[in-house]
Amino acid sequence: MAVAGDTLAAPAPAPRVVSPWNPANAVTASRFLTLPLFFWAVDHGYRQWATLFILGCGLLDKLDGLVARIFDCRSVFGELFDAVADATCYGFGLIVVAAYGWAPVIPVVGVIALGAANTVMRAIYVKRAGRTTNYKSYAMERLVAYTGYLIGFATGGFEVTFFYWLFLPVMVTILIYDTKRMLIDPIPEPGPEPA
Amino acid sequence: MTNPMTDYQFQWFFTIVTGGVSAVWFLFDMKKLLRVRKLDTTDPSIRDRRFGYVMGLVIASIGMIGSAKIWM
Repeated sequence: MAVAGDTLAAPAPAPRVVSPWNPANAVTASRFLTLPLFFWAVDHGYRQWATLFILGCGLLDKLDGLVARIFDCRSVFGELFDAVADATCYGFGLIVVAAYGWAPVIPVVGVIALGAANTVMRAIYVKRAGRTTNYKSYAMERLVAYTGYLIGFATGGFEVTFFYWLFLPVMVTILIYDTKRMLIDPIPEPGPEPA
Repeated sequence: MTNPMTDYQFQWFFTIVTGGVSAVWFLFDMKKLLRVRKLDTTDPSIRDRRFGYVMGLVIASIGMIGSAKIWM
């Protein structure tokens, strides 16, 4: 004889809540510690040290994703915090190298202006979605790595003109594509927390 | 304060960190692009990935060419 409980579906598991105070976000936050050291090195003309500090900042960016996977603490907030850390660290680095004459000003202004436009569009995307979400752009992820390198090219005096001027058309192309995806195309339904 | 490397070592270090990473990155994105090519390209998320890998190839090429330029 079947009992009533046999026909009832098992209750859905409660959505997993990841605290923002987790090891991955701690690694992300630690990237800010490299900025005073970077500024000190640039201010004193220590090009090699400045390069190593910005390289450390970039490596920590790669490490936080790994830590998130190891400790199983990936979250939408973590992704947004990572994007904010990227913008802060690399924006600061670009402004410093341009201010000290180590990088051409026009491409740096262009990169920062386009980066600001991208931030505004992401905010609009979140508003359209009506929830905390992050537009995952595979192309922009690669461009962010290039941005980190841009600062290193300036501190190392490594083919600065070549790398800086080629960056702009690549960024414009990616931004045009992402603008369409964020502002015009339909927004995908929310899925589970990033795995 | 002394530099951690000589200028020559630094040049090599930079070449490896830029050119070497770009070369590996190029191979990885090429492999991913070939894999994605077989998937349904009417799906926007697949198109996003394909576009991202193509831009990855462009950026990696710029990295390899720039690294080679310093030795020319």
